[in-house]
Amino acid sequence: MPNRFILKLRVILRGTGGDKNVTRIQRRRKLGNLAWRLYPKLQILLLLVGYAWMLTIPSSLHVQRTYIDENALQPAQVNTYWNWGDVHRADLYLEELEALRDCNASSHEIATFLSTEFRKLGIPAAMQEYTFDTRTGAVHGMNAYAVLSSPRASGTEAIVVSASRRSQTGEPNLRGVATVLSLAAYLKGSSLWAKDLVFVVSDGHLDGMQAWITAYHGVAQSNLVAEPLQLASGVIWTALNIDYPGHSFSHLGVFFEGLNGRLPNQDLINSVQRIAQYTGGVPMLVYDHKGYNELPNQESAFLPRWLPDGLRQTPEAQEYAYRAENVVRHVGFQARGRASGVHGLLHQFRIDAITLFALPAHGPHGFHAIGRVVESTLRTANNLLERLHASFFFYLLVGPTTFIKIGGYLPSALLVSVAMLFGGMGAWAHARWIPPPPANEKQEQERWIARPRPLLPALFVVCSTHALGAALFFVCATSFACAAGVPSSRAPDHLILKTLNLCLASTVVSVTSVLNFSLAATLAIALGFPLSFSTPSSSAIARLGRFTAYASLALGWLFMEDEVTQALLNWELLGVWFAPFVCIMYTPLVLQAGIVCLLSP
Amino acid sequence: MTTRVLYVLAIVFGLHLCCAAKTVEERFYEQLVLKPNHDGTVTSSFSFTTLIKDGRPRDPRTLGKEDESQHYTLFPLALGQILRDNAITELHLSLNAGKWDYLNWGYPEEDGVGTGAELWAWMAEGGPVTVDERWGNLRNALAGLFCASLGSLDEQRTTSPALTFQPEGDLPAFSSSHQLRHATLPSEHVCTENLTPFLKLLPCKSLSGIASLLNPHRLFDADWHGMGVHVRFLDHAGIEVRLSFQAVHNPVRYASDNRRDWSLRSLFDHTIEQSCPVASSSQIRVDLPRSTAAIITEPEPTARDDAVAVYDVRQLNGSLNVAMRWPDETSFEYPLGASSSPLAHMTVRRTLKGSDQYKGHLSVVITNHLMSELQTSYLETMPWLLQFYLHSLRVEHDGVSRDDLVSIVSYTPPVPHARPALLQTLLTLPPNSTLRLTMDVVKPFLRYTEHPPDAQRGWDLPPAVLMPLARDASAGGRVRRVYTPVLLVDLATPDFSMPYNVIIMSCTLIALIFGSVFNLLTRKFVAVSLRPPPPAQRVEHM
Repeated sequence: MPNRFILKLRVILRGTGGDKNVTRIQRRRKLGNLAWRLYPKLQILLLLVGYAWMLTIPSSLHVQRTYIDENALQPAQVNTYWNWGDVHRADLYLEELEALRDCNASSHEIATFLSTEFRKLGIPAAMQEYTFDTRTGAVHGMNAYAVLSSPRASGTEAIVVSASRRSQTGEPNLRGVATVLSLAAYLKGSSLWAKDLVFVVSDGHLDGMQAWITAYHGVAQSNLVAEPLQLASGVIWTALNIDYPGHSFSHLGVFFEGLNGRLPNQDLINSVQRIAQYTGGVPMLVYDHKGYNELPNQESAFLPRWLPDGLRQTPEAQEYAYRAENVVRHVGFQARGRASGVHGLLHQFRIDAITLFALPAHGPHGFHAIGRVVESTLRTANNLLERLHASFFFYLLVGPTTFIKIGGYLPSALLVSVAMLFGGMGAWAHARWIPPPPANEKQEQERWIARPRPLLPALFVVCSTHALGAALFFVCATSFACAAGVPSSRAPDHLILKTLNLCLASTVVSVTSVLNFSLAATLAIALGFPLSFSTPSSSAIARLGRFTAYASLALGWLFMEDEVTQALLNWELLGVWFAPFVCIMYTPLVLQAGIVCLLSP
Repeated sequence: MTTRVLYVLAIVFGLHLCCAAKTVEERFYEQLVLKPNHDGTVTSSFSFTTLIKDGRPRDPRTLGKEDESQHYTLFPLALGQILRDNAITELHLSLNAGKWDYLNWGYPEEDGVGTGAELWAWMAEGGPVTVDERWGNLRNALAGLFCASLGSLDEQRTTSPALTFQPEGDLPAFSSSHQLRHATLPSEHVCTENLTPFLKLLPCKSLSGIASLLNPHRLFDADWHGMGVHVRFLDHAGIEVRLSFQAVHNPVRYASDNRRDWSLRSLFDHTIEQSCPVASSSQIRVDLPRSTAAIITEPEPTARDDAVAVYDVRQLNGSLNVAMRWPDETSFEYPLGASSSPLAHMTVRRTLKGSDQYKGHLSVVITNHLMSELQTSYLETMPWLLQFYLHSLRVEHDGVSRDDLVSIVSYTPPVPHARPALLQTLLTLPPNSTLRLTMDVVKPFLRYTEHPPDAQRGWDLPPAVLMPLARDASAGGRVRRVYTPVLLVDLATPDFSMPYNVIIMSCTLIALIFGSVFNLLTRKFVAVSLRPPPPAQRVEHM
């Protein structure tokens, strides 16, 4: 019995023919035919699996506990000596800062006060004035910074401790600034620092730091006039930004997304988590999201109402909702290329930086806890003999101690991209071959009819839509007038256009996925189905209708006025390429799919 | 008993007769200068000088022949052998840690304060061994003597900037001329393992005299510390070896009450218990600050005037603990503004700008604090790890391009993987203003064997050296060398932590490419018929 089965299998696989080469060619043809017949189903399957994978990202399937990869970091292994005397000093600084706030002191006065206080501590300090010219008006400000040259160190490397004067909540970050001042006084007292410590109190929220860090690296920006820095230090490796707006705090939240989707090395976040837990005794959060176990009586607002209560209240569902909330927040920052805090401006200069956000609450933590956490984190960063590397730059942080590795999330977007590539290849083959007329008894073998594939017209449409996208971007960026014309094109082969469209989209998604996964995933969601199933209809009205649908998908963002303004401002001030990317890649791709529908079949 | 005494006497006398043929007279002087700075720190400069009277450096042409015997009593033999074996006329070695703050600490007693190791030597040419060979032997011998990685000061770091590094002593009138070799290694760090061999060169080690203050626990915790070995030849005196140790202590950091009072015990955790018996002079000089109400507490100095108090350690009875107090201060307050009379002629800030891995620019900002125009030489001895372009040198003063402020440019371009660049110019600094120099630089791509096997933090670049040509009365008309802080450059570095991924990836690619190319090359192309064989044949095959 088994013998016969094996023989049968052999016949199926090897064919019945005598010549080995003939059977191989026949086998290949069979496989080709199979792929040809199955590819539309495979395409749908890949799309569905890709989307399903995206949905499983917040589940516990891919989640892993965080760990410290770089042995030199040794987080939470030191005794901290930050004490109540230093807390008292921070309180005194806070009083003075509050007095300045109450008398409505100008930027210049506050910066002068800060640099004087640094100098009183024996730390060289200076100020930097800057002006941004934007379409909405000029932004002035004044940064104060101080460079503590560490004893015995050559000053070739530096760690930045910063606080912006305005918190991300919009309130003044007085306690953050007081923490930086008091830390400066405290840290000057020890000789163990191997790297210089640079204290920066930047004006505004993001603008001050952008002016400071570009001046530090000598990078010119056309719309920024900033004083050159009077004090310098070495190469900055690590930066901690302190955002402490409230009176006290209950948790430390970590914000880590940088401009254009850059992320700091995960070891830094993991170290802070361990230090907060073991040294500071403060629970750490990802962003300001409290987990379901922190809010036992509250349901996550993230789960839809229509789910049955029994399901919604299970810990698994709550956990899923919590992780999903973190992932969505992350994608919101990363896909749009936004920095989630002041730290995000530093990543472009190869600096690992995060923001510690003291979640405002009635208690129980204050200067004592944050000082200890920052001191210990600085000690950890001080231990480094080399830059953080070890490919720890690709991760999805779904909880304070849990994350997803690149292998866990990347396939979701790539599967969609592969599906689009299959669709494109299929369309390319369809454009070449016409299936034979119904089988003729006399014909021994089916013959497909080949036809030429005129590539140029489709290529013209592709190029012109991208050019149109670029033009749209310039129009948006200069006058912000919403105008978009439909490119008039004669009737090229819609299949060829579809081929190019799908292959291009697939390439864009897969290339973007390793640079900025969130953007790639968003693109995969937005482009996957619409581009794969763009077909022209025989009725003109249906064609027009489909095109309108595609056009609204392509250009609908023009009506989200706040978003557009924000994206353009980010491009102008910080060089975030989300706005040009949408105009030059996303919109043309969807428009091409629309044109595919518009063309006569 | 008597015979024994006679015996000893005979030996002593005999020895004396032996040496009488060539009596070497040696002198040992030691000195400690303590200088309180206005930022609360105290600079201590030790110097231990041994002089061989009428000694002369070896002529390199005698290198093949047997050398005269070296009988030293005070002069360090280990160092003397190195000097004679390589026929060194003048030698300067410094090993420093930290950044010297010229604005707050003024000029140092010893000029060589660049971070890391610096070695330069003047040697006569001629003889069987070339200057470069002797330079190689010298740095290897010194590396062994001082436990420092001076062996890495190879051709890739060696230059000959003879204008900036003029001999401090005299050059003997050999028939051949003298040459300079200079190299720096900014990543070298000074520590206890360098101090121990240093102390062994002293006649009293660290057992007595001023050297007993050299306590590594305190010295290596100082804000700045560095040791130096200086050998020079003085025509009318002889060969002089000066061992120096400088440190900048921070009493405010140690004090719990934030005061800047200090004493020998608080700075070094030691006092001087006995003097060094072989020292011809042994002095502690304390600079008295003029503006502040500082008092020197017990003991009373041997001599004092308004500016300086001198203690003679040889007249020591009991232990000596020099101390200075500021009785009117409750806690030390840092001076807020710049002082009216700056301690240095100028300050220099040198930074490497730009964020990408290929290009950048080197920016040097020099501020002249004097009310008069100041001329200064500017020297870069840059390894080829950073290549700058001379045509891109721009000089800006008050936002105006002023190329006329740069004169006498001499430039030796680097040879990648072989030789460093040498740039030497003369700058004119307008009074009380700031001059900005920028140069475009390129970061080269290293061969994979050129990456060090250790942790990759970047590459340290040596300090630039400036020499303000203003004759300073207090420095005895000496021209000072001013060192800038060192730089770190990030070169494109492969992630060596994932070699396996790289190997697997590239092997797979090569296998795929090779496989398909090999397949195509060796395959025979023939026409085959795809018609199914007749059924009879099929049965046979079954």
